[in-house]
Amino acid sequence: MFKLDRKSIIIGTSAIATSALMLSGCMGTTAFGSSSETASAPSKVGVYAIKNKTAIDGGVTYEKANGTEAAYSYNQQSTKGVSFGRTPTANEIKAWDIDALPDGTGLPEGEGSVEEGDELYEEQCAACHGDFGGGGNGYPQLAGGNQDKDENGIVITLKNQRLAPGMDAPKRTIGTYWPKATTLFTYIRDAMPYATPKSLSANETYAITAYLLAQNGVMIDGQEMDEEYVLNAQKLTKVVLANNNGFYPNIDGPTGPADVKAFFADRAKNIGSGTRCMTDCKDPGMDGKTEATVMKIGYEMKDVVPAYSTVRDLPPEVEDKSISKAEKMYNVNCKLCHATDNMGAPAVGDVAAWKEVTAKGVDKVVYNAINGMGGMPAKGGNEDLIPSEVKEIVDFMIESSKPKH
Amino acid sequence: MNKKFNTEESTSVVSRRDFFKRTASVSAVAAASILAPASLLADDENIMHHPKWGTTLGDECNYNPYGFPSKYEHNVVRRTSALMSSAGDMHAAISMTPLHIQKGIITPSGLHFTRTHNGVAHVDPNKYRLMIHGLVEKPIVLTLEQLKRYPSESKILFMECPSNGAAEWKGPQFNSLQFVRGMMSCSEWTGVRLKTILDELGLKPEAKWMLAEGSDGSEMSRTLPIEKVLDDVMIVYGQNGESLRDEQGYPVRLMAPGWEANLCVKWLKRLEFGDKPWYAKEETSKYTALTASGKAIQHFYALETNSIITSPCPEIPWTDLKKGDLVEIEGLAWSGHGTIRGVDISFDGGKNFVEASLKGLVLPKAWTRFSYMYKYEGKPLLLQSRSYDDSDNVQPTVNQEKKVVGVEGVYHRNAIHTWAVNAKGEVSNVQVRS
Ligand code: HEC
Ligand code: HEC
Repeated sequence: MFKLDRKSIIIGTSAIATSALMLSGCMGTTAFGSSSETASAPSKVGVYAIKNKTAIDGGVTYEKANGTEAAYSYNQQSTKGVSFGRTPTANEIKAWDIDALPDGTGLPEGEGSVEEGDELYEEQCAACHGDFGGGGNGYPQLAGGNQDKDENGIVITLKNQRLAPGMDAPKRTIGTYWPKATTLFTYIRDAMPYATPKSLSANETYAITAYLLAQNGVMIDGQEMDEEYVLNAQKLTKVVLANNNGFYPNIDGPTGPADVKAFFADRAKNIGSGTRCMTDCKDPGMDGKTEATVMKIGYEMKDVVPAYSTVRDLPPEVEDKSISKAEKMYNVNCKLCHATDNMGAPAVGDVAAWKEVTAKGVDKVVYNAINGMGGMPAKGGNEDLIPSEVKEIVDFMIESSKPKH
Repeated sequence: MNKKFNTEESTSVVSRRDFFKRTASVSAVAAASILAPASLLADDENIMHHPKWGTTLGDECNYNPYGFPSKYEHNVVRRTSALMSSAGDMHAAISMTPLHIQKGIITPSGLHFTRTHNGVAHVDPNKYRLMIHGLVEKPIVLTLEQLKRYPSESKILFMECPSNGAAEWKGPQFNSLQFVRGMMSCSEWTGVRLKTILDELGLKPEAKWMLAEGSDGSEMSRTLPIEKVLDDVMIVYGQNGESLRDEQGYPVRLMAPGWEANLCVKWLKRLEFGDKPWYAKEETSKYTALTASGKAIQHFYALETNSIITSPCPEIPWTDLKKGDLVEIEGLAWSGHGTIRGVDISFDGGKNFVEASLKGLVLPKAWTRFSYMYKYEGKPLLLQSRSYDDSDNVQPTVNQEKKVVGVEGVYHRNAIHTWAVNAKGEVSNVQVRS
């Protein structure tokens, strides 16, 4: 094995010619023969002393001894007995420990039907995720895709690879891709609806979960989920989604962590790894005969914000952008839904829409903004707003939606 | 306005400059580089005149109690694209660090890339609580001040979104270093080694996994294996000498060195120890890498060894060079598996490589700079860099990676990157692949 002598690279000759002169031959297919590392002690392949060459992620961990750990020095005095904070109360743990596991541990009491879920979904989710979870508005699609499996139990369309333009993408929806239905429940309860997360009750969450599972054609205990189907914790735990076995390495059971470690230990096979060839390299991904081609950008993505620039000049004078308190509150609490009519809200600036809204009288409109109506959450979902602030915002919205002269 | 010298001497100098301005057919810059008698060069106005900043009183010493970059640096900013979001909605989106400007290995906190799933939360530090419970003998709840009472540790570590480069699985898309690799940054992070706290809480032997949960609207949560937790995981509150920025999870985030930034949960609220993994949304629907087999890799933790040439790049090309100029090729290498051992550079798209030098600090799981002095010849090049680390991990070619995982995996792309340099010194993003 060669050892490159850096000093003998003569700067000034062509770098490519230099490489051909200095390096004779390829290092072969193994990444490193550790035997060739004659200069290094076995525990020290690189700069720092290694403790473990097979950490769970396939990487190394470093020796922590005699006041150093890799590049860092540390205080060797004992930290035993360092303890701050307090024991949480049982109620505090109960308030925060609401996660749920695939086996159902942690799921709350409650129930909801597909039909109730349908109504809630239409009101609170469809604007972004599309009718029936079908997507189409640029937000994630929640239902659809083909769940048919091949003889090995693999969802066939997940094997789609777009190796050329025009080919179909694998479709990753709840029905085709998600492994566990409990994830759907906790995610909706904790993170959706997007602008007002954590506003759904357990019953409402069961209902919406039921609706989305039904839209994905899920059966529970061999039973189809029709409009009347009522979902609860026990039934949710029984759901087996199509792609339940579609993930590796195994993480479940007593061998989970060891299985993960074994998987990442074999990087070349499992995640792809390179070889340190130095001259006349043949790309092992190819057949050894075909030349690799240089693929250029077909369609350049230039739609970036702010636009590209490396100029060093004074920034353009910006006009005074100070805005009213009402506008600020609007930006934070309402703009997400009211900037356009995508979500069925009257868009600010849409003269006709606001003419219609205010026809019922401003007081009634303010009342609706405070108390909610249809897809409009009470106070836009921010309980902290006081009624007079909501009124200020509504005035601003109305004012900004008058015809401009 | 520039104030002119008013001595006789300098007036004569100025008039000579004016003469050359009128007669010289080449620009001052070009003229300066031609080997000609000094007297034939046009004089540079910036030398011949006192600048405004030298003839006026500057700002008071603490005019900005918290400093800003120079106004002239206003284009050095994070950038984003509707492509990095749902429907152009920038609350669940990504912004990229301007790597082309970045020198050294520390990203200014304000330029650290951002990824949010429900907007940037603004946490009141007085109301902040961290709960650690589950399979521990002694559950605990901490305020921010109490957390900061534990012995602290500071480490320089990169942070990378596993989608870094995800737009490029099927081919090159962006002609920009910032968008090709900008979903990463490197900072000095300060906090508490989680093991220090756990030693006191007493982890039960059945504990195999840890749930980390954020307090933002998305309640971002992820499962980590205990082995990592007891190795180098930290709870951090400091970044580059100050508190975390809101965008980085102020006041507290998890730091799993070398692992997916998504696992480094921001606005950290709760750590629960359990005997089973949780299957959170961000470790099932997302952050799993679908391979050509139709199955997906889950719990894909470490970012593999990777590198990119940062100079030249599309934003800062070699168009100002002339044949014979000796110029530095510079770049960044990093590995979540360990420490970078070296980087090789190719000029011909990967047929032949030469060894580059590492420079500066070479730290585990941190950005590492590499450098190679090159004599510019105005010839087209296919520039590549390939890193390797002390876990015997070598950066794969596009084909080597594609062969094992296909092109639909989204996450963990670390194939060797290629910049094409043309005869004019312009740089563009290409891929060498079959
Ligand atoms: C204002 C738009 C909006 C509304 C309204 C909304 N969502 Fe979402 N939803 C999003 C965005 C954006 C994401 C992606 C978040 C991310 O990137 O982490 C998302 C993600 C999801 C996902 C995960 C999708 C996946 O494949 O990973 C589910 C499930 C979901 N939403 C359900 C709901 C439900 C149920 C409702 C109604 C109660 C709802 N959403 C309302 C915008 C919205
Ligand atoms: C989650 C999306 C969402 C948010 C956030 C939101 N709105 Fe709305 N808003 C709607 C929708 C949808 C409607 C239309 C409701 C209907 O016609 O059934 C609406 C309607 C309204 C109306 C018209 C009521 C009427 O009588 O017709 C007002 C006024 C209004 N919103 C004010 C606000 C204010 C003020 C805020 C912020 C504090 C806000 N909205 C935040 C979705 C939203």
